[in-house]
Amino acid sequence: MNDRSFKTEISIAGFAVIIVLLPLIVKGNYFVSVMNLVAIYAVLAMGMGLLMGQAGLISLAHPAWFGLGAYISGILAARGILPAWATPFVSAVGVGIVAYVVGAPVLRLRSYYLACATLALLLITQIAAGQLSDLTGGHEGLLGIPVLTVFGFEFKKDLHFYYLSWALCLICYWFLANLLNSQVGRAIRSFNSSEIASASMGIDIAKYKRHAFVLTAIMAGLAGSVFCFYIRLAIPSSFEFPLLVTLMMMVVIGGIQDLHGALIGSLAVIWLGEFLRNYMKNFFTSMTSEVEAVFFGIIIIVVLIFMPDGLTGWINRIPSWGKRLYERKQTSNQ
Amino acid sequence: MFISETIQYAISGITSGSIYAIVGICWSTVFLISGVLNFSTGEFVMLGGMLTWLFISWGFSLLPAIFFGVACTVIVAMLMERIVIRPVRYPSETTFLLITTAAGSVIRGIVLIACGSDTRHIEPFLGSSPIMIGDAVLLPQVIIVVSVLVLIAGGLVMFLDHTLFGKALRASSINQVGARLIGIKINRVRLFCFGLAGGMGAIAGIVIAPIEFTGYSVGLMEGLKGLVVALLGGWTIRGTVVAGLALGLLEGLGAGFISTGWKDALALFVMLTFLIIRTLDLTSIKKLVYRHE
Repeated sequence: MNDRSFKTEISIAGFAVIIVLLPLIVKGNYFVSVMNLVAIYAVLAMGMGLLMGQAGLISLAHPAWFGLGAYISGILAARGILPAWATPFVSAVGVGIVAYVVGAPVLRLRSYYLACATLALLLITQIAAGQLSDLTGGHEGLLGIPVLTVFGFEFKKDLHFYYLSWALCLICYWFLANLLNSQVGRAIRSFNSSEIASASMGIDIAKYKRHAFVLTAIMAGLAGSVFCFYIRLAIPSSFEFPLLVTLMMMVVIGGIQDLHGALIGSLAVIWLGEFLRNYMKNFFTSMTSEVEAVFFGIIIIVVLIFMPDGLTGWINRIPSWGKRLYERKQTSNQ
Repeated sequence: MFISETIQYAISGITSGSIYAIVGICWSTVFLISGVLNFSTGEFVMLGGMLTWLFISWGFSLLPAIFFGVACTVIVAMLMERIVIRPVRYPSETTFLLITTAAGSVIRGIVLIACGSDTRHIEPFLGSSPIMIGDAVLLPQVIIVVSVLVLIAGGLVMFLDHTLFGKALRASSINQVGARLIGIKINRVRLFCFGLAGGMGAIAGIVIAPIEFTGYSVGLMEGLKGLVVALLGGWTIRGTVVAGLALGLLEGLGAGFISTGWKDALALFVMLTFLIIRTLDLTSIKKLVYRHE
């Protein structure tokens, strides 16, 4: 037998049990629909956090892959070209190919220049989605997306999508966690600290950068196609600049050194957003995503200045605090 | 007919190109001296226009309104350096990117809450009677925009080359540690640069407001095009001015003859292509060209 422990698998299984049981404990459609968004955005934030924290690549194009996935699925399903259940696979392949073709030249850039290039990609995708109105329905959005049906089972309720999107989220988490523990993951983490050092160890940096980029893009595309069947609409405003700020906030609040940071960040940010929307609508009549971005922006600034490790940094420190407290008690007893 | 149309598009291109050039200079002032790519530069442009509109709507006349608009933006920019950029404990590119983008969206949202989402308009400074060039229309405001660009670029070059503080700025952009060793107060220099960028951005936002409408959301695109121009110009003042005017012309002609909807994508596409071309390894081509030498 190999000596690898099944720590990740056990914690994922535990988390999955909680996720399955939660809708039975907390009643109401509202909770389920919010948790849906948590799962979908967690997939996006995981990809972005992996690139930023482990690989050291600042990629701002994730909302674009999300939108692209949504549009490919939406167009194929709404035009009746493919049955709805097949479209997520097609959009995963499509997003993967586009990400590979675009990523190959773009990933030669570093730090700020990579950020600029990927931001340009995001905005170009957004403008294209608005302008190609024959294909995408323009700014009003793509209508007429059918109900997702898999082998006769119709995904109609929020609860159905709850299980679907959380399954996607946990599978992605499991996949990425395993990837980070493998040879590929070690290579990815090595060139974060020094590209020259890892290149001289014989690691093909360009190849691994491309792999990480394309993999996270495919995940974002899958999340996008689930999202488009969930809200039955694909619209440019669902992947605009505010989404990028939200994702950044998830990554920052959760902390970028660990993979589960994105999950925690997504939970915290979406519920915070819901809380703000419910609580603040007495003060601001138009609670758009841009007004929310004020609060989110302030929180990002405060977190980056005062707790750069994010929430996972705190959580990781809890055991050592406990240990220190215990030891202090021991010494005072003696 | 074709010629006057072309002249018309060229005029509008040069107008917006001048603004891009000023914004590009803002980006490079901050980037060269503090190493921070300030993604909220565009919001300074927006802030200048909106604040001036606000002061005018409160009953100020034009010049005091401009003065207060610029002053407030400078204060905002300096506050941003002091309370957002300077306290960062682990300065890395990712942190600065995240934190300046967040600061930008805070400014944008506050303006949205305070002024509403309607587009605003400032009366042209010299009246709106146009000067005719053939069939093409030249607004007096365009002359103001271009002369402001000349003043800012020229003034900055003079300031950097011929004053002691300007030389200190250049020194700290070359080597921060060295500059600190010879007694330049780096913190004060960085604060000044943010203020300078804020002021220049605000002026750009004010002079363009009578031609294009201003609103809470103009900052993002204006700022990004400034970044495109600063990149193309290689972070120098002269390069930025040339690149700004060229991009403006390209955009103006492209919008006129091809499509207005794709206008913004054009600039971004230029940036993307430029960045990718910069990374290409050209030694093999050079070898081909210089083989006989």
